[in-house]
Amino acid sequence: MSGPRIACLYLPLFPLAARLRSEPELLREAVVVTEGNGNAARVVAGTRLARESGIKPGHTLPQARALCPKLVARPRDEDCERTAQEALLEVAESFSPRVEDEGDGVAYLGVEGLDRHFKGETPERSLGCSLLAAADKAGFPARVGIASSKLAARVAAGLPGSPVVVPEGEEADFLAPLPLARLAPEVDLAATLESWGVRSVGDFARLPRERVSSRLGRVGRELHATARGLDSRPLIPREPPQVFHEGMNLEWPLVSLEPFLFVGRAALERLCERLESAGLACQRLGLELRLEPDGHQTRTIDLPAPTRDVKTLLTLLRLSLEEQQPGAPVAGFTLLAWPDRPREAQLSMYGPTALPPDKLATTLARLFALLGPDRVGSPRAVDGHRPERFALVEYAPPPPPEVRREPRTGRGLLAVRVLRPPLGLEVISVISDGQPQEVRTIVSDESEKRPRIEGHVKIASGPWGLEEGWWTEDPVGREYWDVELATGGIYRIYRERASGEWFADGIYD
Amino acid sequence: MVAEPLLRTFEEPEPGADFRPSATGPALRRLRSVLPEDLRRHVRSARELDRGLREARRAESESSLPTAVPALDRLLDGGLPRGQLVELVGSRTSGRFSAVLAALAAATGVGEAAALVDLGDALDPALARDLGVDLQRLLWLRPVNLKQTLAAAEMVLASGFPLVILDLGAPPVRGGRGLEAAWLRIARAAKAHNAALLVSSPYRVSGTAASVVLKAERARAAWQGEGHQVRLLSGAASRLQIEKCRGKLPGQSEDLKLSLSPFPLPPAPSPVPGEGEKTRPTRVQRRERLAAVAGG
Repeated sequence: MSGPRIACLYLPLFPLAARLRSEPELLREAVVVTEGNGNAARVVAGTRLARESGIKPGHTLPQARALCPKLVARPRDEDCERTAQEALLEVAESFSPRVEDEGDGVAYLGVEGLDRHFKGETPERSLGCSLLAAADKAGFPARVGIASSKLAARVAAGLPGSPVVVPEGEEADFLAPLPLARLAPEVDLAATLESWGVRSVGDFARLPRERVSSRLGRVGRELHATARGLDSRPLIPREPPQVFHEGMNLEWPLVSLEPFLFVGRAALERLCERLESAGLACQRLGLELRLEPDGHQTRTIDLPAPTRDVKTLLTLLRLSLEEQQPGAPVAGFTLLAWPDRPREAQLSMYGPTALPPDKLATTLARLFALLGPDRVGSPRAVDGHRPERFALVEYAPPPPPEVRREPRTGRGLLAVRVLRPPLGLEVISVISDGQPQEVRTIVSDESEKRPRIEGHVKIASGPWGLEEGWWTEDPVGREYWDVELATGGIYRIYRERASGEWFADGIYD
Repeated sequence: MVAEPLLRTFEEPEPGADFRPSATGPALRRLRSVLPEDLRRHVRSARELDRGLREARRAESESSLPTAVPALDRLLDGGLPRGQLVELVGSRTSGRFSAVLAALAAATGVGEAAALVDLGDALDPALARDLGVDLQRLLWLRPVNLKQTLAAAEMVLASGFPLVILDLGAPPVRGGRGLEAAWLRIARAAKAHNAALLVSSPYRVSGTAASVVLKAERARAAWQGEGHQVRLLSGAASRLQIEKCRGKLPGQSEDLKLSLSPFPLPPAPSPVPGEGEKTRPTRVQRRERLAAVAGG
């Protein structure tokens, strides 16, 4: 193959196909998509059931309802169409990196050289069949045409018996029997050609080029070249998108959360499928709400790690909506996903197995939703000596060692169970050296849920001084004691030097 | 990604293919070329490597995780069994939390990831680090009640953590004993993911879900110094006893000795009024001394 080969992925009745992708439960109904308001709304496209009832594009909605009383009518939805177009382009991009967005359910992709990847006598036809299968998997009843020019590919895609392959150099012969309307000439030009008795593309192509040029001008010359199979328009590849969108306008504004999450879940599933087909995951999730009667709200949820787990994303969405309610009925929504590469795991042959990054990311996101971000993470010690202080950082374990280390022998060290926050105590102590003699938890509403410490002190050891931040306005000065109670248990208690109050902040355990 | 294609070559040959790993095969040469120098000499033939990998995998799945608490490891025949729920019951000052931190230190020390679901919010990261826990490999969860604890534990088990520890804190446990069905669920999750699951609780909570139940007696404090001498807490001694374990008789027990410092403390100073406080080491000094030894 010497010249360029272009495949056209075409979605007939695009407004309807986009709507049915968002509402797949309507697939078996008589559905029309309308444009306009109220009774003046006109049918743009309808399902087979609707067409069999006699409904045609251009009918008003009352006319259509008269023909089919059970008709389901939906207005055109820009969001649905935009996301369907994006999804169609992503299907094309799974075959070729050079994809042009023509809009309205049409995508062109450069396929020269791709035939080497397909077996059979007609590799290009196999390629077309694969394209159709991929589109079908994404929920699109698409058609495919393959030719050497965009126009021929587009015309081929519009014909039945998809995929239609036009061999290289045979574009003119392929277009010749087709009616001239396929070239979509301007209205004036079409009327002139009609008056000349030119009906088909072939009739027009046979006219002498110079005569056509002198009589019909630049537009006529270009149309004549097109009729002869010469399409000079190059393929203009699109830039890969930075954000994935998925959304729709709702038929009725929603006021409660559950119905919204029901619709949102389907949209999230579609979004995650698209991310998966691109080998990406969602690093940041956005939600744009269109509110009744006039307003909008935007929110974003940062994820601890890229994920495409629908359940996790839906839980985070639910929590965000419960925390910050929209405050008005929701008339439409758009979900936005900022993509990132999912984390990869390096398998180890001799060392411990690493945690699967995608599972870990999903788990962390769900734990964030369950416990809150301030209760999940990797602990870190903080500079200073107060034992109740700590820091939490994002959990990102280093890769395991290449070779498993030998386990260290146990040192049998006694640990302290920190009481956080410290537990207020009543203490009877010796006046001379402050040694505690008897301790008892201060009773309060909160202390019901905390450990109770009560009893005579059998042995006390201390005081151990702790001083921190003496140069600040809030210095800490404590006198620590290790006490063993007659009732059992070894505790770490302290007296605040400033206030003289006693607290227990640890149990030796 | 060296291991995956090699494993696939060895373990999942194409149907009907002649599968004969040779000592000088291209896969082996390729593998040797990317292995570190110290590993390269261990790989002598593809067949041996294949056998070694299989055995290592089988041994890993059947092995247990040592806790570095000698008494616990002896009672459990080597450590926490993978795929089973072990419940450690003990009152305050029974050595329960020390065993938890020792198990975390042992697992993270060999490079494994570990999760601590800490209902009592009792972890002191500085102390844990001093006791040998690799904090980078530790996931710390701080639920507020038992219901959250069980849900969080189920999630971390499902994500593949080889060691998950639930510490229910000192009594009273917030949330009672929990539903037995929930305990059965997490025991099943531990089995499905071959994870070691340790539940440290002040009283029995997991019912029939536990494969092994150990009871820690209340510890006796060990003090240095007698009579009117200044006292210094040097450690605690407890006893671990099997209450339930398949293949073992209940009642078998081991002494659990825990010290506050890994080396013998100097004799306690004599009580001289007004001078005692000056000569005593501060808590910070004690911790630094402990950290110096643990770090070594």
